[in-house]
Amino acid sequence: MSPTGSSRPTTLGPAATRATAASLDGFRNEPLLELRRPEVRDAALAALARLDARLPVRVPIRIDGEELRGEEFERVDAGEIDRVVTVAQAASARHAAAAIGCAAGRGQREWGARSASERATVLRRAADILHAERLDLAALAVREVAKPWAEADADVCEAIDFLRYYAAGALDLDRGAALAQLPGERNDLRYVPRGVTIVIAPWNFPFAIACGMTSAALATGNPVVVKPAEQSPACADAIVRALHAAGVPVDALALLPGGDDPGKALVADPRGRTIAFTGSVAAGTSIIERAAASDPERRGVVRVLAEMGGKNCVLVDSDADLDDAVPAIVRSAFGFAGQKCSAASRVIVHERVADALEERLAGAIAALRVGPAEDFATDVPPVVDPEAQGRLLAALAAGRASARATHEAPGVPPDGWSVTPTLLGGLPPGHDVVERELFGPVLALEAVTDMDVACEIVDGLPYALTAGLFARSPRTIDAVAARLPVGNLYVNRDTTGARVGHQPFGGTRLSGTGPKAGGPDYLLAFVDARCITENTIRHGLVV
Amino acid sequence: MSVAPADVEPQVQAVGRRLAADVQRAIRTPRARAERLGMRVLMDDPALRAALFRFVDVRPACATREDLVAHLAELLEEAHAGGSTLAARGARALGHRGTTRGAAAIASAAVDAMAHRFILGEDVDIAVPAVTAMWEAGTASTVDLLGEATVTEAQAERYAERCAQALRAIATAAGPPGWTANPLLEADAAGPVARANLSVKVSALTPHLRALAPDRGADGARDRLRELLRLARDLDAHLHVDMESFDTRESVVRLFCEMLAEPEFADGPSAGIVLQAYLVDAPRHLEELLAFVAAHPRGVPLTVRLVKGAYWDHEIVEAAHHGWAAPVFTDRHECDRCYEALTRRLLGSFPLVRTAVASHNLRSIARAIAVADELGLAARDVEFQVLRGLGDATGAALARDGRRVRVYAPIGDLVAGMAYLVRRLLENTSNDSFLAAQSAGADPATLLEAP
Repeated sequence: MSPTGSSRPTTLGPAATRATAASLDGFRNEPLLELRRPEVRDAALAALARLDARLPVRVPIRIDGEELRGEEFERVDAGEIDRVVTVAQAASARHAAAAIGCAAGRGQREWGARSASERATVLRRAADILHAERLDLAALAVREVAKPWAEADADVCEAIDFLRYYAAGALDLDRGAALAQLPGERNDLRYVPRGVTIVIAPWNFPFAIACGMTSAALATGNPVVVKPAEQSPACADAIVRALHAAGVPVDALALLPGGDDPGKALVADPRGRTIAFTGSVAAGTSIIERAAASDPERRGVVRVLAEMGGKNCVLVDSDADLDDAVPAIVRSAFGFAGQKCSAASRVIVHERVADALEERLAGAIAALRVGPAEDFATDVPPVVDPEAQGRLLAALAAGRASARATHEAPGVPPDGWSVTPTLLGGLPPGHDVVERELFGPVLALEAVTDMDVACEIVDGLPYALTAGLFARSPRTIDAVAARLPVGNLYVNRDTTGARVGHQPFGGTRLSGTGPKAGGPDYLLAFVDARCITENTIRHGLVV
Repeated sequence: MSVAPADVEPQVQAVGRRLAADVQRAIRTPRARAERLGMRVLMDDPALRAALFRFVDVRPACATREDLVAHLAELLEEAHAGGSTLAARGARALGHRGTTRGAAAIASAAVDAMAHRFILGEDVDIAVPAVTAMWEAGTASTVDLLGEATVTEAQAERYAERCAQALRAIATAAGPPGWTANPLLEADAAGPVARANLSVKVSALTPHLRALAPDRGADGARDRLRELLRLARDLDAHLHVDMESFDTRESVVRLFCEMLAEPEFADGPSAGIVLQAYLVDAPRHLEELLAFVAAHPRGVPLTVRLVKGAYWDHEIVEAAHHGWAAPVFTDRHECDRCYEALTRRLLGSFPLVRTAVASHNLRSIARAIAVADELGLAARDVEFQVLRGLGDATGAALARDGRRVRVYAPIGDLVAGMAYLVRRLLENTSNDSFLAAQSAGADPATLLEAP
């Protein structure tokens, strides 16, 4: 017990090692590539050359082991739009119905009948396959969604982590839970698969999120139909192929590339039991509405897991170390061009250090290099597509018109869908740039009188995903941690880069329904619990 | 090396004992005793140690007296929660009314005093008389300018200007005429040794250092480093390029070698770089450096400052976070052995390179002296470097032993100096620290044991 009421362990305290080894079953994160070594960078570039030699990647619709054709669509390199990266087949509503039918029938029977340990073995095998292909996979994300090397590699690692973490978690879950027992009675709690899971995945973590949602459902015995983002079909296909190769039956895992059509059809299909979605608030809330609508065909209430947007703020108190804060804020706001749900988009700084912070941030932004994702010297890659670019340019125009000061990165390349990394100082309260999620390399900065005011601002937002705090007073850190509603608070570090098993990730309010991905509660969303109670008394004897 | 080195162990022990006895005499003052006691307390109380380091770290950001005391009290409370009873007493004392003023004054004076022990002064005006006095007392110096982390071009520009200004001021004071002639400090068998000596950090010369793109950092710092090299050449000063974390090593080495290969620097200035013996790859780094020197002969030998390395914790944590094998030795003995092997290789390369043995470990120092003797080098052909505030007693003992000692002396304000100060304090109170063991009165035989 802490006599001061402080709930925060000191860094040197034993609480740092609180993770229970047993529940993680030897889980260890996949090590990132050590790209700071030249030989590792050379290997990565060789993988990119191999990929370039075989472009475009062709992605079919995959249902029940068959590769089907639909309406063809292309995905090009955001940094060099003449380069066609992927040619994929778009699934229709008809394909969606076929895929769910197959999953709900044979898929469910076959996969659901496997033991938890058999399923875990398959998932771990899939992790090993991804591990063996990791350079080629990272290269694919570099091309397909213009994700810079370090982040593309981290994406692959996170996908591998999810497979291993959920495999271990599902084994744990299979052991049931402890219940109170009385003589003459045996109580048993077991978790069973819910049924067909629809996975609707985003493009910004084209491996990790698609793989995380899919592997959680599979680990707990559910068949899955995956609808990846239109921008990243090849990355999703790589995950699906690895899972098939590892032993997931083809009828228990289908891939439906395409746009809204297959997604809408999947959500509407009464045979879907769980929907795992990551994407925009608009799409997420509409799925929740649709899933809640009564439908005589449905046998049961659909469970929706939705991870949505954020308007992530970084609070900087007067005692912050700006040497730490500036690089961390710049990485959090502009890494991968701000296209992460966790990206920082608003700095709320104590007025006493506001000018110094703004000056240094402005200078740090002026030193950012915007360029192609494949270039190791690039800080900020182009954004994902022309729609995103247009939307961001419009937001920037509106922001510039109302901001007290605008600070930009120089020299944005003309080809590709680049957006100039920009810091907008002193926007009026309520301005769109300050309130709305932009999902791009745009950062707003405002000064406040103290951290209480900053907390009120954050608490007033409809989102609650991540937040950052730079402060060195233990009491302030405790107070802000207690006050902010966000799902992930990062103190004195970047607001991005949650790692599986270390920082379970996900928000509250409009940012998400929970439970947190990569954490101990996630798998519970994919199972139903059944309690079996048996009277063990025979002729008055407890046997 | 094909020939097995002669056994210099008896000489190592003899030199080591002589130096150890001298150092022990020097640290038998009441002040040193009080410091030892303080260090012992901190080493035995990790929670209190963390709290006090955090206080030192946040001290410059505290705008008012109340702010300062509030931070200290909170950090002590936290340490108390972490199990420190001493911290509890401190926190209680601060809780009493009326103690605020006094506590604030004492706490900030203590931090300032600590800072001044390690930092020469706020700016070059204070530093110049100080390094002059050091020279007259028989010790050379290399001045290092502390600063904020460089994230902008403006900061890089300011740092380069401060470096140029410091070079000019020190060179002007050093003369000739200036400082009194001292043959030991200003010449060796390879030729004259520059009086004015400045250490610079490439990371402060550009905001473009990126671990994944070493050329980008080198490109960003190139023009500023070139200007400093020109200035050092024109002033007959020595310019030493410091080494920092492993992430920046490739940029630093690449840029440094590229600069020295330029024709305009063929005959000067005297320049140096750092070899970090805690890096597992350090022997390869040295061979690469020696190959470079052999391929690019210059009028002045290259100086290599041989250190163990000051970013050990950082490297270990960074590697653990990413799942990498650490680039540094995790066993202190391995690191010490590597240091000794590198020492021999370096000393054997004189006068192609000059060696600056930068360690506070008497064993490492004694070994360097014994090997230099074995190789037939004169005392003036090997330089020893110590950190101001940390290696004072060691440096003094070496100077009395007739060695050329150069003190690494940082200048800068308190804000800028904090990272440096915290690193030095951590070093001083680490359980692995040679200095801590030495000042705790460890048996010289143990201290001088072969690693």
